[in-house]
Amino acid sequence: MKYVPDKDILLFRSCLVSVEYPGVEASTKFVFDKLGVDYAISEKQTCCTGLGHYSDVFNQIDTSAIGARNFRIARDIGRPNLVMMCATCYAINKKSVKLLNRKDELRNHINELFDENGLSHLKYEKDDLKPSENIFHVVDILYAKRDEIGKHIKYDLSDYTIATHHGCHYCKVHYEDTIGGVRDPNVMDELIKECGCTTIGWYDHKRATCGTGFRQRYSNPDLSFTATADKMNAIADEDVDILVHLCPNCHIQFDRYQYLISEREGRSFRAIHLNIAQFIALAMGGDLDKVIGAKAHTVPIDSVVKDLKEVKK
Amino acid sequence: MRDDLKVGVFLCECGGNISDIVDLDKVREELDVEFIGQFENLCSLNGRKIIRDAIFDHDLDRVVVAACSPISHEKTFQDYVKPLNPYLMDMANIREQCSWVHSDSERATRKAITLINASIEKVKQSDAVDPIYCQTPDEVAIIGGGIAGMNAALSLAKQGTKVTLIEQSPSIGGHMAKIGKVFSPVKIAEECGMCLLNPILNELVWNENIEVLTNTKVIEAERRAGTYNLILEKSPRYIDTEKCIACGKCAEACEVEVPNDWNDNLSMRKAIYRPFGQSYPEAYVIDMDNCSKCSNCVKACSMKAIRLRGKSERIPLQVGSIIVATGHKLFDMEKRPEYGYARYDDVITQSELGRITGVNGPTKGKLLKSNGEVPKRVVMIQCVGSRDEKPDGHKYCSKICCTVALKNANIIKHKYPDTDVLICYTDVRTPGMFEKYYKHTQENEVRFLRGRPGEVVKKGDNYIVRTEDTLKGEFVEIEADMVVLSTAMEPSEGTEEIAEILNIGTTEDGFIKESHPKIKPVATDVQGIFVCGTAHEPKDITDSIMQATAAAAKVNEYNYGGVEIEPFIAEIDNDRCNLCGECIERCKYKSMSIQNDEIYIDPMSCTGCGKCLVGCKQRAITVNGNIDEKIMATIKGALSKKRDGERMILVFLDNIGYTAADNIGVNRLSYPESIHIIKVISVNRVRPRHIKYALENGADGVFIGEFPGDLMYDEVERKIQRAKNRLQELGENPERITFSKVYIPYFSGLARKFNEFDAKIAELDDET
Repeated sequence: MKYVPDKDILLFRSCLVSVEYPGVEASTKFVFDKLGVDYAISEKQTCCTGLGHYSDVFNQIDTSAIGARNFRIARDIGRPNLVMMCATCYAINKKSVKLLNRKDELRNHINELFDENGLSHLKYEKDDLKPSENIFHVVDILYAKRDEIGKHIKYDLSDYTIATHHGCHYCKVHYEDTIGGVRDPNVMDELIKECGCTTIGWYDHKRATCGTGFRQRYSNPDLSFTATADKMNAIADEDVDILVHLCPNCHIQFDRYQYLISEREGRSFRAIHLNIAQFIALAMGGDLDKVIGAKAHTVPIDSVVKDLKEVKK
Repeated sequence: MRDDLKVGVFLCECGGNISDIVDLDKVREELDVEFIGQFENLCSLNGRKIIRDAIFDHDLDRVVVAACSPISHEKTFQDYVKPLNPYLMDMANIREQCSWVHSDSERATRKAITLINASIEKVKQSDAVDPIYCQTPDEVAIIGGGIAGMNAALSLAKQGTKVTLIEQSPSIGGHMAKIGKVFSPVKIAEECGMCLLNPILNELVWNENIEVLTNTKVIEAERRAGTYNLILEKSPRYIDTEKCIACGKCAEACEVEVPNDWNDNLSMRKAIYRPFGQSYPEAYVIDMDNCSKCSNCVKACSMKAIRLRGKSERIPLQVGSIIVATGHKLFDMEKRPEYGYARYDDVITQSELGRITGVNGPTKGKLLKSNGEVPKRVVMIQCVGSRDEKPDGHKYCSKICCTVALKNANIIKHKYPDTDVLICYTDVRTPGMFEKYYKHTQENEVRFLRGRPGEVVKKGDNYIVRTEDTLKGEFVEIEADMVVLSTAMEPSEGTEEIAEILNIGTTEDGFIKESHPKIKPVATDVQGIFVCGTAHEPKDITDSIMQATAAAAKVNEYNYGGVEIEPFIAEIDNDRCNLCGECIERCKYKSMSIQNDEIYIDPMSCTGCGKCLVGCKQRAITVNGNIDEKIMATIKGALSKKRDGERMILVFLDNIGYTAADNIGVNRLSYPESIHIIKVISVNRVRPRHIKYALENGADGVFIGEFPGDLMYDEVERKIQRAKNRLQELGENPERITFSKVYIPYFSGLARKFNEFDAKIAELDDET
């Protein structure tokens, strides 16, 4: 397996996580603490531009410049390993590192912009960071520490029917770094196994997009929600209780719009949506309000998860 | 005196291959020689006249040809410099090791100048020597008993050559025996494959010049004196093939049933079995991994042919040449989970369909689904694993899958006109006469849809194939009750293994690489080893047979023409020699012996490594060709063109390492311009004084590569370590010298090592 650090980590905050599901961040911290991962957050860090970038608001130069600034912040506090909770932040930052290292012209241009604006301290030098050695998703860190998950598990969630939805921007952008398969993504299925549960594994549309497509949700809602509905129907066919995510974009698309798609399809959907960190935190005994952040969810978590039963030790 | 020699340099543009990157005008300005010529294609026959005229007109003593690699064209130019002695010419490799690995024109030009200057200085130290001709043994080993190997064996045997045909499975016949029908572009009809294969098989079995070894693999190979010494491992068959009459009573008695791999696991066979009806040797075999050792078969065998105890046997085999015909395997469907091959019974491969429609297959030729019904709609998916740039995919086209799909679609249509067949294709590739067959298939009402399906799912009793119809730009869901996948051809495990054992070059896709894709399509990087069939690249039966017979012709050329050996080998002064035998002891290649009270040196096995020189107290041995001086002159020539601030790394490689380095260029990978490769007869000839001189006079680093299979490897490694120690004693950083393993197939690894060493040296330079 590729090298994955467990220290000197900057836990990269995600706009969508903070605004929509703060419990994802709380859960990530909860699980990282249990597993002894050394991380910190920085209030200086900004958005990766992802949503704006994919909606053609920020071009690649702006995106890479903002990346360069965030990379400098990470290095300045001695935490050059950026770990993302959002698949889009992950793909965007990895791409920016690749471009800044490979494209001398782009790097020089951005460094000039910094100079002109009195921000010379933000300059990015070639190979300051390495795309495969410094840029990670939370699932990478959890996967590297998977052997230690089992001993912290408090609740047995194995009675629920669980499926995974792996985000496109984790699986399908930087193939070389994706853990657990690209065509048949399984990294979360493996992590869930460490919690003493089995997922349903392959299901129809397992690899498909959530449908968000960034601006597509707003400019082409029909197309966007058709993709979501395909997947919702497939999950309902399998009678899934919990769909586990690794990207807040997907999470929103399913959780916030489940009722809308239900109306559209004339079929009631009952799955709840948890980020992988929330799922593990829940199994590790994280508080539903303070850690999991259940109140931020549209499909109530307690509509499915009732009476948690403790693992027999 | 050598400095007064008149040197002529000939620059080749190589039709732009060189001149598009290297500024040859600039090169001409920088060189100080008697004559400089430039030509578009120096290797053409016109080149001969240009070189010869210049030699006469300018009275040249030495010639440098700055062109491609000596591995491509050294022989050509040795011939073109006549009347000069062939060894008074040297080639500067400014294509494979310059224009093909560098993209920055200015830096590539500077490197070309350095390489040419090194050649100029080297060639001044060259002396006239005569090549030596040797004969190699006539016997041939053919590895792989499929249609290619069988045809090569037959062709050679009919020309009087003794052949050993080595097949690792229990029967010869290969994939062709399995495919059921083959199709003829001329007759526009499908014919029985086995009926075409059988006569070849029979002819082969009866030919006295061919020995067939089944259940046998090559496990070791060593080349000495033009002879390949192979060690074969023959696994036990547990049946005496002399006694077995293939009556089948043993299989009737056997209680163990396992999936029949010859039928792509679509039917069952016993643990004692005959691979297929026409298999050769005509005998049963025991699959010992699955045998329960109940001895029922022993009791049933009236011929007493069964031996439940058996050990694998090692067989040495000496041959002069080898034909590699180790074939292909099919793409692993686990890599395409979206097509559901592992999940759904009626999602099958074309190979399995071939078994199902074959009369000797699991359903005796009836097209049936797993539930025993005839399918109503078959959807075929093309390019599964081929033409695929996603992870685990192959970028190449597997070449035969379009015609295979057409053939199987027609077979279905002939027998079951009511079954609908739809082929989802990327492009239909049916060149030449095959196009007529494509039309014929369309007339047969086979339907075509352009699009590569994304996934196959099961809904109820049916499969849904999801794809975009890329001609209409529409998303479609196709219902089917049988899905057939046209899987890519990829190198077989045997092909990968044999490349490693014989140390022959492979392509980035793992197929055996020919020494030149246009003009040497059956030779490999290694003298005396040839390739044919799908071990080389995807191809059909016709092409495999053509290449097999071409390989046979090349073997005979080699057998009749003999081998020309570079004359840079040891020579004994018998007046001085006192027959102490020290050299015989020292020679790792066992090339020295005493014959008729004189030391005899076998020219085929002597590599000119110079190890014997050190031990000879009488100083009776010399190695022809002024090698020490040539290496020193090359180093000086390279360093004299070094500019301030330029990083210069000298890389010493023998023929194997040099071939690997060429392959970096052939595959258009890159490495830094600082890397300057010097070809030496044997790495052992690079002496401490060469390294010391290089580092003291401008070289920033020295890289020495050696093939671990070389008998001198350990010796060279120790020597380099001593050189590093000495460097440290002198207060220099020993990391400026590096020693590395090189292999012909792993050219990409060598490129990586060049990059890493360059980065390391750059770091050291920054520190100082």
